Amino acid sequence: MRGIYIVGGYPDKESFLKIADIVLNKMDFIEIGIPFSDPVADGPIISSAINNILGKINVKEIIDITKLLGKEKNIFYMTYSNIIYSYGIKKFSDEVKNYIKGIIIADLPNRLHDFFYQRGLEIPIIPFITPESRESDIKEIIKYRPPFIYFIGIRGITGSKADLDNSEIIDKIKVIKKLTDIPVIIGFGIKGKKDAKKAISIADGFVIGTEAVKVQNNLQLFIDFVNSLQ
Amino acid sequence: MDIKKMFYGEYGGQFVPETLIPALDELDHAFENAIKNENFIEKFNSLLRNYAGRPTPIYFAERFSRKYGLKLYLKREDLLHTGAHKINNTIGQGLLTSFMGKKRIIAETGAGQHGVATATVAALLGLECIIYMGKLDAKRQEPNVKRMKILGAEVVEVENGSMTLKDAMNEALRDWVKNVKNTHYIIGSTAGPYPFPKIVAYFQSVIGKEARDFFDKNCILPDYVIACVGGGSNAMGIFQGFLDTNVRLIGVEAGGKSNKIGEHAMTLNLGKKGILHGSLSYLLCDDDGQVAPVHSISAGLDYPGVGPQHAYFKDSGKIKYDFVRDNDALQGFFELSRLEGIIPALESSHAIGYVIKNQELFKDKVVLLNLSGRGDKDMKIIEKKI
Repeated sequence: MRGIYIVGGYPDKESFLKIADIVLNKMDFIEIGIPFSDPVADGPIISSAINNILGKINVKEIIDITKLLGKEKNIFYMTYSNIIYSYGIKKFSDEVKNYIKGIIIADLPNRLHDFFYQRGLEIPIIPFITPESRESDIKEIIKYRPPFIYFIGIRGITGSKADLDNSEIIDKIKVIKKLTDIPVIIGFGIKGKKDAKKAISIADGFVIGTEAVKVQNNLQLFIDFVNSLQ
Repeated sequence: MDIKKMFYGEYGGQFVPETLIPALDELDHAFENAIKNENFIEKFNSLLRNYAGRPTPIYFAERFSRKYGLKLYLKREDLLHTGAHKINNTIGQGLLTSFMGKKRIIAETGAGQHGVATATVAALLGLECIIYMGKLDAKRQEPNVKRMKILGAEVVEVENGSMTLKDAMNEALRDWVKNVKNTHYIIGSTAGPYPFPKIVAYFQSVIGKEARDFFDKNCILPDYVIACVGGGSNAMGIFQGFLDTNVRLIGVEAGGKSNKIGEHAMTLNLGKKGILHGSLSYLLCDDDGQVAPVHSISAGLDYPGVGPQHAYFKDSGKIKYDFVRDNDALQGFFELSRLEGIIPALESSHAIGYVIKNQELFKDKVVLLNLSGRGDKDMKIIEKKI
């Protein structure tokens, strides 16, 4: 499972739709970021794209353009707790549940998933595993049968560099694989083809964010980047 | 982990990246052990006494009281080492850092008081210290930037967003996610993810305890207790001494220039429920969930969120939350300076301004006001007003 993260609506709606189509055609899934004013899990590149688009597009409009991409596509959202909470958890869920397969909430730890489910969220929340996660944590999250597990390959925010030769990471993924067949996707720290290949050899896939967002405002460069991953 | 204990009613929680969860569990565990550990408590109390200068006096403000027709008592947190109540918490959390075996501390600061108090404790305990401060705040609270540097801390000026307290906190959280293994993040207010609201409230409860002792010894209770509220640590500190009484508790928020969004920081008065920096509480944000710009003349109150305990006490009606404008705070600042010879911090000046503005309500009443800090740091803002 090879995925790309892009910032929703950036640099403008029309360009975004083109870029999203390219990702859906050439990759296995897309992660659409719904901008939040205080993205504490994001580094300077993604934060700056988010800042650029804030105020120009709202959550409802991002939902609307997601729908233009069609049903049954491998679309995931990535955002922050307050976006969904402020929109109305149930309302948000009702509007998008037929269009996206899951949601990554950067500031929602696994232990608080129920907080959203109990308030009407019917979209699977993608759980996180970090090098610090304990075996009991892994057992807890696989009970929900999420579409995949998001493995955070680094201690840090988006835009940092992962060290995929680190035995700590490799061993942790082995522990997960022993406990479940749910795909493990490495997110955070994947820079280009070399990392991507490595990620596929030790896990079931990857998501590239920062490197894609860097060229998101230039269609040709974006196409070149996606092709470079093939 | 029992999820329920993270919440005050419906407020609180741990809305942070998964990477921080083990550190928050470790912190909670260390804190619960520390406060049962005699050595820890003795060290904490001894530093509060001999290093910070506790207990702080309760002073009857005679000339102010005569002019405004009430009996005003000031809890003198401004007399503490480093000039504000913030040192109570940083001594506690600094000791916890050593207790956990960590060597590096980070903190956010708005007015710089928490930053200075953190840098001070870092020097005292031999810890590496990095302080995140919005660029705008660094400019308007310049003396405190110098103090932090003198104390050996690295001050990182944050140029994102509104360049104030909220953005400093974002940056501190990013640092913590990266360096969580060797770093403790000393949050300065009763905000942030569980267990911070609990821990900060505990270390600040000494304010209320001392105040209550004073009134108990005199066999009376005040009619009102008043404190300013930004994130809410000084207010929570003093209010905790009176939660079991019928004393009326009033938290004063920063009304800024007007009720227009972007011109105030009245989270509890005008905000709605939302999630920022780890907890669900009241929040100033738009319908889309984007955090709103805020303004206050005082950098320490210039924050769009508020601690979850305050949200809980607002809903329950136990504490009343009101506001005054920048100008009322300025009037409070000058009145206390000229009637009592005490220059208050602009944050605390909001509480004083509130007393002046509502002098009819407080006529002949006994009012206890938490003078949370002194105003030396505010000269740059004030010099234009003299």
